[in-house]
Amino acid sequence: MKTKLIGLGILAAVIIAAVAYVFISNNQTVAEINGYVGGEKIGLLEDEEVQDILRDRYKLVIDYAKAGSIDMITADATGRDFLFPSNQTALELYKQINGDPVKSEIILNTPIVLYTRSAVAQALVDSGIASQTDGVYTVNMVKLTEAIEAGTAWADIGLPQLYGSITVGTTDPTKSNSGNMFAGLLANTLCGGVADESNLPAILPRLQSIFQKLGYMESSSSDLFDQFLKTGMGAKPLIAGYENQLLEFAAENPDTWEQIKEDIVMMYPTPTVWSSHVYIALDEAGTAGIDALLDEDIQRLAWEKHGFRTGVYDTPTDAEHFGVSGIANEITQVAPMPDANTMDQIIKALS
Amino acid sequence: MKCIKRSIALLLMLSVILTIFGGCDFGDTDSGEADTVLGNGSSVLRIISGSENAELEPILEEFAKQENIRIEMTYQGSLDIMRLLGAEEIPYDAVWPASSLWLTVGDTERRIKHAESISITPVVFGIRKSLAEELGFVGREVSVNDLLQAIQSGELRFCMTSATQSNSGASAYIGFLYALLGNPEVITEEDLQNESLKTQMKELLSGVDRSSGSSDWLKDMFLEGDYDAMVNYECLIIQANKELEARGEEPLYAVYPYDGLSIADSPLGYVDKGDDKQEELFLKLQEYLLSEDTQDEIQRTGRRSGYTGVSEKNKEVFRSDWGLQPDRVLSPIKMPASDVLFECLNLYQTDFRKPSLTVYCLDYSGSMSGTGNEQLVQAMEQLLIQENARENFLQASENEVNILIPFNDGVINTYTAEGNGSELEALYDEVKNQEVGGGTDMYTAAVRGIEMLKEYDLSQYTPAIILLTDGQSGGSLYDFEDAYEDLGAEVPVFSIMFGDADETQLEELAQYTNARVFDGRENLTEAFRSVKGYN
Repeated sequence: MKTKLIGLGILAAVIIAAVAYVFISNNQTVAEINGYVGGEKIGLLEDEEVQDILRDRYKLVIDYAKAGSIDMITADATGRDFLFPSNQTALELYKQINGDPVKSEIILNTPIVLYTRSAVAQALVDSGIASQTDGVYTVNMVKLTEAIEAGTAWADIGLPQLYGSITVGTTDPTKSNSGNMFAGLLANTLCGGVADESNLPAILPRLQSIFQKLGYMESSSSDLFDQFLKTGMGAKPLIAGYENQLLEFAAENPDTWEQIKEDIVMMYPTPTVWSSHVYIALDEAGTAGIDALLDEDIQRLAWEKHGFRTGVYDTPTDAEHFGVSGIANEITQVAPMPDANTMDQIIKALS
Repeated sequence: MKCIKRSIALLLMLSVILTIFGGCDFGDTDSGEADTVLGNGSSVLRIISGSENAELEPILEEFAKQENIRIEMTYQGSLDIMRLLGAEEIPYDAVWPASSLWLTVGDTERRIKHAESISITPVVFGIRKSLAEELGFVGREVSVNDLLQAIQSGELRFCMTSATQSNSGASAYIGFLYALLGNPEVITEEDLQNESLKTQMKELLSGVDRSSGSSDWLKDMFLEGDYDAMVNYECLIIQANKELEARGEEPLYAVYPYDGLSIADSPLGYVDKGDDKQEELFLKLQEYLLSEDTQDEIQRTGRRSGYTGVSEKNKEVFRSDWGLQPDRVLSPIKMPASDVLFECLNLYQTDFRKPSLTVYCLDYSGSMSGTGNEQLVQAMEQLLIQENARENFLQASENEVNILIPFNDGVINTYTAEGNGSELEALYDEVKNQEVGGGTDMYTAAVRGIEMLKEYDLSQYTPAIILLTDGQSGGSLYDFEDAYEDLGAEVPVFSIMFGDADETQLEELAQYTNARVFDGRENLTEAFRSVKGYN
């Protein structure tokens, strides 16, 4: 009788242990990490396929708060495991303020492009600011910058329905990456090379006046792109963004894309700059995100569904599935961004 | 055997506990403050929204029923929502201001996620059609300057919301600034120092007949009163016209000033507090609102929605005989950078707007004693002590007049403070030191207020009586009506309901004077702030 009781006791203990194990393993082996992410990568992180891979293969859940790439460097990072800005300047700035991070790695790449509507694209081509070869639009940055500085009105290039003068809508360069990189690109254009600390003083006033004309600027690339699509040609005739934004939109909303694709035009500035999305681990827990995001399948999904050019997909052969015309096969005309100190001075001058 | 039973019991108990907590809705707390409750499920989604979205309630209700949830809508001006975003705690699940501008500027703590534009609508001038024709605004492009000339010559008077409380007012005001500054590329800090700007803007804003803290209520007030024009969202001009047409009255004609246009993009964003269930519910609602069918339904309320503009079928809503231009390329002005924008708003509040002439009739009857009186003093501190008022853009201007009438069953005393200096702050001492006691007669106090207003040239002010009471009032509405008739001007009597106030009595007053009743029972300070936003 006694052994029987002991046996039953053991059985009960095993049941309780098993139940407890299931609870604990469900809750604890999947680690949740949390960080600041630039808005343009949210689609990727919200992708269920990506989330499944993260959870199944890496026991990881990545939670995030949206923040601009520059903003997140100076924001209070208490309780955050990582930062995921959209350029290497942000990493350099981070290092200057906080020293070396626990770990960092480039996860994704995408070039800075301009988005516009077909009527505006046509006017830009007609006025010689842009051109089109084999269906790919390119924008001559020198001519575009000249038009902006001269205060050329939209009406002057044949668009009387647009109020005001030619500008490129960007996010706030002091807060967000696409605006920041576009400022770097403009600085390069103004100095006729790569802006550095020696030629910067001469061009800063011009850069300031270009940005001052923009007035209020959005702080997130995804908000700007959403507004570009929704508020129409009058509100945002020409904006700077990432190549991946349109590719992702077309992949995620094929029906909507079908309706508007005739009107939306992507243009590559010549030269352009690469936005390299670098993952900065702030603590040990955060480092897990690097290996996970470099997973081959996640990298593949990053291109196919979200339009990021990754290590393997830098010069993709399979862009047809997006249904977007005018995707450049290779991004050949690329200039390096000004270095971090120069960018820091640019940010300060534009603050 | 006992052991097993006990373990099973334990397991059962465990699972019961888990079920209880798992099913419990932590997002569900007090629901007393909402302006409208849609649906009656147990899960709740609390949304703070610009009042223009009140027009979308049937669409929201459909979702609430379909999902068996409750949607609680609280309406505030977009700038109030912006300020709320800076607060330590945001007691809502979602925010829905009129423009993403206020969301971006306000969300300094980055707690807003998934913000997406639901629809867009421009801010336009709606002018009585025959007047628009007379002024030559029909069938041609109109500039802000054309409007200004009509205003300056006294041919056009209009209503607009307060630029420091509501997006439509702020947008229109920024459009005026551009025009008066000669349409610069963008407004700068230096531009604002311009002395002639001050004179001209004051002159322009003196053409404002009535102000309001939010756009939808401006529309309601417009429909109740007898006015010529209002600055409001295109979609609300359409709503107003439907009502005017149903009554057989003259509709408004929409004028889109080509050099002063702005667009409200109506972003709906989630307030992230780490509650996955609420987030899921929010995303479901957002998906519903952005779905093709709902977007079409939203378009039929006069909003521009979707990526492809107004559909052929819905063009009938945007009637050309009302001046609406659904195919117009909406090319807006640039909003100034945020530091300049706030400077613009400060100037509006302190220098440019028509000075307010506010009569506070405050209840000091016996029933107010204790916490009631304490709350009243606290609330008035937020308005009268300028350092506090500034935080909510409610600071007084140099020419404004504030009158205090403490009452019980009669008028206890009257005090007048001119300007925004020491007299105003001294008024606060009176509020604080006045003792409570006696019965309640709000009518006598309001009549005294009316009498005191007679001493001013009301066309130079935005006048209002703000009445706070906590009980059933003695006295008679007729006495008030006689005095009001005698005054011969439309002065709104806003009231703040408190304690056991009789809502019917207050509604009567509000209706009679084209004003509204605010509920101060939940949060008296908030109620005072809201009401002050109306003048």
